[in-house]
Amino acid sequence: MNAIEIKDLVKKYGELTAVDGVSLEIPEGDFFGLLGPNGAGKTTLIRILTTLLKPTSGQARVLGNDVVADPAAVRNVIGVVPQAMTSDLDLTGFETMDIYSRFYDLPKKERRERIDELLSMVGLKERSGDLVATYSGGMRRRLEIARGLVHKPAILILDEPTIGLDPQSRHVVWELLDKFRKGDRLTILLTTHYMEEAESLCDHVAIIDYGRIVALDTVPGLKKAIPQKDVVELTVAGVDMEKAVERAKSLPKVTSAAYKDDSILVSSDHGAEIIPEVVEALRGMGARVTRVTLKEQTLEDVFIHYTGRPIREEEAKKVSFLLGAGVPTKWGR
Amino acid sequence: MYRFFAILERDLRKFIRNPLVVAMSLLMPIIYLVILGNSFQGELKRLPLAVVDLDRGPHADRVMELLRTIEAGPATLEVSLLSDQGFAMQGLREGLFKGVLIIPGDFSRNVIRRTTAELGLYLDNAETISAGTVRASIASALPELGDEFISIREERTQTRLRDIEIYRKIDYDQTLIPGVVIMAIFLGAMTTGAFNMVMDKFLGVEESYFLTPLTKRDIVMGLIASGLLITTILALIVLLVGSLISGLYIWELMTPVSFVLLVIIIILSTLGLQGLMFIIMGRIDHPRIVGVLGGFLNVILFFPSGAIYPIESFPGWLKAFAWVNPETYSVHAMRALLFKGAGVQAVEADIVFLSIFAVVAVALGLVTFKRAL
Repeated sequence: MNAIEIKDLVKKYGELTAVDGVSLEIPEGDFFGLLGPNGAGKTTLIRILTTLLKPTSGQARVLGNDVVADPAAVRNVIGVVPQAMTSDLDLTGFETMDIYSRFYDLPKKERRERIDELLSMVGLKERSGDLVATYSGGMRRRLEIARGLVHKPAILILDEPTIGLDPQSRHVVWELLDKFRKGDRLTILLTTHYMEEAESLCDHVAIIDYGRIVALDTVPGLKKAIPQKDVVELTVAGVDMEKAVERAKSLPKVTSAAYKDDSILVSSDHGAEIIPEVVEALRGMGARVTRVTLKEQTLEDVFIHYTGRPIREEEAKKVSFLLGAGVPTKWGR
Repeated sequence: MYRFFAILERDLRKFIRNPLVVAMSLLMPIIYLVILGNSFQGELKRLPLAVVDLDRGPHADRVMELLRTIEAGPATLEVSLLSDQGFAMQGLREGLFKGVLIIPGDFSRNVIRRTTAELGLYLDNAETISAGTVRASIASALPELGDEFISIREERTQTRLRDIEIYRKIDYDQTLIPGVVIMAIFLGAMTTGAFNMVMDKFLGVEESYFLTPLTKRDIVMGLIASGLLITTILALIVLLVGSLISGLYIWELMTPVSFVLLVIIIILSTLGLQGLMFIIMGRIDHPRIVGVLGGFLNVILFFPSGAIYPIESFPGWLKAFAWVNPETYSVHAMRALLFKGAGVQAVEADIVFLSIFAVVAVALGLVTFKRAL
């Protein structure tokens, strides 16, 4: 069975179409990444799946439950980590977990065990008696991930879980997600605009832009489908550049080669593998190789290929005429 | 039920972790009692009155004597004898005097002839309360002019005795107590319940609650229940402290029955106001708006409730508003229970109105609240 099925989903905010006819199937046990620039419609899509928003048209089912017809059933099987930090600052870590577990009618004994287990897994056992207000951003996020799992959901949905975190905390979150997937056989749906995140975690990645899915495949599959390849750049001396380029082109696994100033650029599907062969061949011609750098093809190349730009300016935000900028605009629409 | 109690517990924990809010909720009604009790419930003292005596006859002296006794006794007036009428009038205009009493040149003659003897009184009518007091105080003294000397003195001596006290007695008006309690209830309803929801919305925390199986009813009822509990306790503390300050010993005045009824009135008033807050704040997502609304709501609910001044004095439109104002019924019931030790009969109508208001307000509050972003 598919964990999530989306069919022709559309969500409009007045003139703006945030989700524009998305169809998607996510199999159970999959780690699925939704990659898109800011304002692409990721959060809107997540909010429809998590019953916070009603779609304008189309259907979405979570473990067979329709998000519009039976939101209560959906809420019981999903654990969600929203984009904004949503843990109460005036509660302790333990209280947060305990109060949330009661929303799902978990019996007391089971509750205690589960909370203990989760808090140790996210490394907050020692700090569980402290107010959330004393936590760092990374700790708060870890607590929210634990909170999302307190009722043993079948699907964990995370909306930009590492946004605003420092690199260390980001890695800790990644390790945690990897651990939870293996341990609980969870289906995980994650949105992100970090390439690295999608690349290192996800089985499947869908690229979303302007509310549409523009590509969907495994990470290697996505990379294969675009023309850009891995590029090895060698700084050489004591050789005729034209000839060196010809020599490089003649090597197996090399798809093309060119030179720029005193550097030779060799592109290939195989990245680092071809470096020894290329270096050896150039040395055979009497060249001195002083520097070698490898620019591997990344998901970013795929992303730019499909969306055109790496970063997009967000839509101008509305400021209330009566209240000024005091009301924070809801995150990430 | 589980979920409802979870929300209740969450709010109580959040509340006790904000001691400043607790302190302010308690302090403000009590400060109100002290300030209000002292600022316009007290007697007016030492109002400066200028007297211009153009007569200098025996009866003019008699008038002066009467005024001096007022000055020495209740000290409502502070009399200065001036020779120049123009100077006195100038002083009145400049606010040096609250009134100018002119004793005309033919005053003594007219009194002796028993024709109409008139005194001229000029009052600073830009300040009506002082003006009224000056007028009343002089008017009450003057009829004694026509009476026999001895009887007047005797009578006056008696009244003097009561008024001269070595220590100044702070004259808190105990009738303010019901108003202070209803203010505590208002503040409690304002800073708990619906306000927690507004803060959650503002901080973006509410999203995570909407993602759980919590229903709209769980959320609203949990918030109202926590607000009800906190507010009831606050109101009872304010009642106790307020009564100690004003020297109104409620345990002497109240029977167990009237105390139980009082608690019922407090609970019903709180429920009604909590519901009202949900109706008003249900769609608000910024505490700034609550701040603006708070002052406004306090004025339109508190002052027309009869807590400070009797409803009977209101113009028709304000009277009509007082009739639908729940605080009116709370104040009426509390006054009856606190001061008269009244039983069920006296507050029946109030309980019925407050119950209906509470049910309707909470129901409408539920409708107004949107379980969505």
